[in-house]
Amino acid sequence: MMPLRRFQMHQPKNVAEAAEMLAHYGEKGRLYAGGTELLLAMKHDLLRYEHLVDVKTVPGLDKIEAKNSSLHIGGTVTHRAIENSPLVRERLPVMAEMARQIANVRVRATGTLGGNICFAEPHSDPATLLLALGAKARVQGRNGERTLAMNEILVGAYETALAADEILTAIEIPLLAKSQRAAYLKFQVHERPTLSLALVLDVDASGNAITKARAVVGSVSLTPCRSDKADALLVGPRDKVEKQLADAAQVLAEAADPGDDLEGSAEYKRHLTGVFLRRAFAQALSGAPR
Amino acid sequence: MTDGMRIVALKFQLNGKPVEMECEAEETLAEVLRNHLNLNGTKVSCEVQVCGACTVLVDGLPVSSCTYLAYEARGKNVATIEGLEKPDGTLHPLQQAFIDDFAFQCGFCTPGMIMAAKALLDENPQPTRAEIIHHMDGNICRCTGYVPIVAAVQRAAGVMAKESKK
Amino acid sequence: MSAEKKTDFHVVNHSIPRRDGRVKVTGKAPYVADLKLIGMAYAKVLRSPYAHAKIVSIDTLRAASRPGVYCVITGNDLEGLNPYYGHAVKDHPLLAIGKVRYAGEPVAAVVAIDERTAFEALEFIDVKYEELKAVFTPEEALAKDAPLLHEKQFEAGALRGFEGEVTAGKGTNICQQHRIQWGDVEEAFKKAAAIVEGEYYFPMAYAYAMEPYVAIADVTDQGVTVYSSAQHPFMVRHDLKSIFNLPVSKVRLIVPFVGGGYGSKSYTKIEPLVAACSWKAKRPVKLQLTVEEAMLTTRSDDAYTWMRTAVDAKGKIIARQAKIYMNTGAYAENSPLVVEKSTNRCVGPYAIPNVLIENCSLYTNTVPASSYRGFGCAQVTLPGESQIDELAAKIGKDPYEFRLANVAKPGEEFFPKMRPFDGTLKEDLETAAKAIGWKNPLPKGHGRSIACSGSDAGAYPLTSTAVRVHADGSVTIMTGSTELGQGSHTVLPQIAAEELGVPFDNVNVVSSDTAITPYDRSTGASRTTTLMGSAVLEASREAIQQMVVMAADVLKVKVEEIQVVRGGVRCGEAQLNWSEVITKFYALPDGEVIGRSYIRKSGKFSQLPVFWEAACTGVEVSVDQETGKITMEKLVTVGDVGLAINPALAEGQDIGAATMGMGIGLFEELVYEGSQLVNGSILDYRLPRFSDLPKEVELHLVQNQDGVGPYGAKGGGEASLNSMAANIANAVDRAVGVRIRQAPLTPERVWRALKEKELQNSKVQKFKE
Repeated sequence: MMPLRRFQMHQPKNVAEAAEMLAHYGEKGRLYAGGTELLLAMKHDLLRYEHLVDVKTVPGLDKIEAKNSSLHIGGTVTHRAIENSPLVRERLPVMAEMARQIANVRVRATGTLGGNICFAEPHSDPATLLLALGAKARVQGRNGERTLAMNEILVGAYETALAADEILTAIEIPLLAKSQRAAYLKFQVHERPTLSLALVLDVDASGNAITKARAVVGSVSLTPCRSDKADALLVGPRDKVEKQLADAAQVLAEAADPGDDLEGSAEYKRHLTGVFLRRAFAQALSGAPR
Repeated sequence: MTDGMRIVALKFQLNGKPVEMECEAEETLAEVLRNHLNLNGTKVSCEVQVCGACTVLVDGLPVSSCTYLAYEARGKNVATIEGLEKPDGTLHPLQQAFIDDFAFQCGFCTPGMIMAAKALLDENPQPTRAEIIHHMDGNICRCTGYVPIVAAVQRAAGVMAKESKK
Repeated sequence: MSAEKKTDFHVVNHSIPRRDGRVKVTGKAPYVADLKLIGMAYAKVLRSPYAHAKIVSIDTLRAASRPGVYCVITGNDLEGLNPYYGHAVKDHPLLAIGKVRYAGEPVAAVVAIDERTAFEALEFIDVKYEELKAVFTPEEALAKDAPLLHEKQFEAGALRGFEGEVTAGKGTNICQQHRIQWGDVEEAFKKAAAIVEGEYYFPMAYAYAMEPYVAIADVTDQGVTVYSSAQHPFMVRHDLKSIFNLPVSKVRLIVPFVGGGYGSKSYTKIEPLVAACSWKAKRPVKLQLTVEEAMLTTRSDDAYTWMRTAVDAKGKIIARQAKIYMNTGAYAENSPLVVEKSTNRCVGPYAIPNVLIENCSLYTNTVPASSYRGFGCAQVTLPGESQIDELAAKIGKDPYEFRLANVAKPGEEFFPKMRPFDGTLKEDLETAAKAIGWKNPLPKGHGRSIACSGSDAGAYPLTSTAVRVHADGSVTIMTGSTELGQGSHTVLPQIAAEELGVPFDNVNVVSSDTAITPYDRSTGASRTTTLMGSAVLEASREAIQQMVVMAADVLKVKVEEIQVVRGGVRCGEAQLNWSEVITKFYALPDGEVIGRSYIRKSGKFSQLPVFWEAACTGVEVSVDQETGKITMEKLVTVGDVGLAINPALAEGQDIGAATMGMGIGLFEELVYEGSQLVNGSILDYRLPRFSDLPKEVELHLVQNQDGVGPYGAKGGGEASLNSMAANIANAVDRAVGVRIRQAPLTPERVWRALKEKELQNSKVQKFKE
């Protein structure tokens, strides 16, 4: 077996204490939630920590609640809980459907949404969708609380804007309005997505025109990527937008600027961006899960 | 600041029986089961949460025990392959179905495969073929080509449905 | 041909549930990883980060003085041992000595009180390397200025398994060369009505036996005892005896259940290293590799093949020529045999009058390649069976009909000096065609293919066994064949039960303990049913002969007066079962009779191969033309097994092999970037999963009792793998009109081919305009 190096486990009673611990241990410590990514990296000696701070001992971070017009998902809520939550399934089915597609049943049972975002693995399923949905992360440190948009918190591969003492306490996701349609699709060859594509469209009352669009391509660059220019091409009468999908995809792919890696060449990923933007567009407007 | 734990006082239910022991913070559930509790039925293979050989159930949910800290089992119910056979020697319908359908060859994936299937049938007693494939997709078998495993899960579901009607 | 065509079987030819069923579904089946010896220590291995480097110095002091560490062993500590091993070529040091030849090669090992302590000590070993120029492909290895991997001459291994010369160690990077030739190829190609020619690449594949390599060694003045996950304990014993310079009787290999082999656990792997650790640490030592380390231990040879095939005006294949370069990695392991086999297997199961195949394997600074299910056959069946379809298309023939017209016929001497063909490919192909619905209409974007393979089984006939009949009529088979999952613990008792007329449940198996079980060369090359099965059959009959003599003694009659009946003997009115014969003979309710048999290359086994392993697979695929993703709509396997001792097990071998072949056809491939294996983890090396299961699967067996094994049985379990990559390539061509000559056919490769085709079409279109 591949043993983990020795460490100490800490059990903070509240967020403030967790923040203190993280500040105290600095680079020797790390927040620990589901552990699905962190323990893997530690097992492979890619990361080393002498102290893990178990955020799951902090009460109240494992709740899913609807507040006003948004869904609040606590940092330690597991993918499985999202997948099976009646609330999420009813109010934001695209989120539940995305969660159902993450890795495998064991990872979903232990992996958490907060952990997934904070680990900032470039092939994260949730990150792509959450950026399209305009979700925000609530983070808390010793100096108080702040809210970061997804593109603010995810700054690079395995890199977030969180300060050393900050903890992601919840993700707030605006619920889709009646006029909004959403789709999340991915293309996967290996264990993680080669490409993921999330799309949120606002349609007018007739259903024949798109008034606002937000397309995100994930897994092909260090962080999920969107482009105002691409989104602009997705607005207008449906038949016109359909003709512009290829252009929108090209703009989006240019913004993402994918590289060559084991998942495929940059050229292939650019091509797939087009394929999946078109498929997501069709699915979003088909009335299938929002 | 309080010191962290190097040693974890671990109390949990293992196959329906209480366990009280100490382990080190970094020990995985697979290490504790295999090295301390002499339960070798749980196998360890890929160690990247892909193959599912090490699947055990914690509060009914399948986890990769190779990368799941034993620390996490505090106060929970852990079920392993060793707990499925009844004291009178009767096999669980899944175990019997795996034999009847030749759903294993080398047997190394089998304990994890059966535990993953158990989690499915406990939650969804009559899964469709598509549901079986979706749920079991994170368990790898290198010998059988999966065909007989799907058949075994379907057979076991049928047997369990009949048993529950009795 | 088998002399004996029996049909009224009691036990054989029935799908009896597996003997190891209950222990495996309850988690009680012991594998080496589950075993502990008293006082056992644990080892972890330090591996080279460089592909090719001189080891300047190793300082182990800091690591060795850590708490809980018993010792550190390096290539400098092996004095007193013969540290180079190899059954074909003795080129492999048990730890790097003086230099490293691939990134991932073991350089040192720490032995400590537990795995964690050993692992944590590794980073305190200080190794200084001086990097050398490295080669990673056959082309680079052949270059004039290529650095030499192995400078010294090698002692040839004693058990290489083939009759040709070993060509390694002659001052080049060539590991092994082989060539077959008959007819006049040049002349035939001149006369040909049509020719196809192409270059093909078959990738490095990883077998992923789910149980990684593991061994426990205990070296004392009593000898060397090793518990190992080895497929071939007697082969490993041979290497260890030579390393430790001991008589055979002082080396003991014990193999409990093995968690998958597929060739990857054949021959010696980590056993010499673990034994050396125990030798230095003076206590039992366990070493269990991780899967990632296992991926740095063995792989399949990747192969670059140029091939051309010719047909005459009547549609008869008249010639085939090929040049193959195989990449065998840093050490020879079993690759010399793989080279010979892949050379032979280029001919396919076709009767071709003019043949020239040249094959050369090269040492490179990559993970050593060795046996992999199919032994070089899959590597050359990709080109071979692709060209059958390419040629059929070229002359406007249905590829299925084209195969029917050209496959070797039963009894045909289609390969000079080899055993005449002992299968019925026409029936196999017809069965596959019917099952796949060859003539049925297809939706757009779908394609079908049927392909076959026939390989000269690598099973070398050297096998012995003992069948012990106990006084209560129960039976113990002593066999050197290892239960890898293939079902030897079920099939062998079926044969003994059939012969001795005792219930299957009363026949037990003791296997793979070299101190106890009689010699069997190996467990691989689909040999066990044919060779060990024959041995068990003969030993059972020999036991019966002994018991006839005993019965005569007991009944005080002449031996000739004793008549054998099922489960015992009769003499006039008197009837005795085996239990009664033995108990009366010894006058005690105990004692036993030991039936023996020794199989060698003589009699019905005198001509090689002992059988031709033949099978067909059929596939229907659909292609997502936008992404290039292939979906398996249907899979059919047809195993030409002579007689299935246990049909369910035989079919299980076929579907398992076909699924591995499908993996290579679709996505399995080890990828090197520069000196490093970059997808050396199951996160990145994609294996077939539940969701890859073809939507429909049909398994068929053709049973004409035409093998030399028991009741006409032949080996199976490899052949369904061999044709799969070609089959997928052919089906994709028929679905969307692109010919891909490289496996795996990843979505991107298919997409690129489609794009290229579109580009060509638009050029043609423009030209026409």
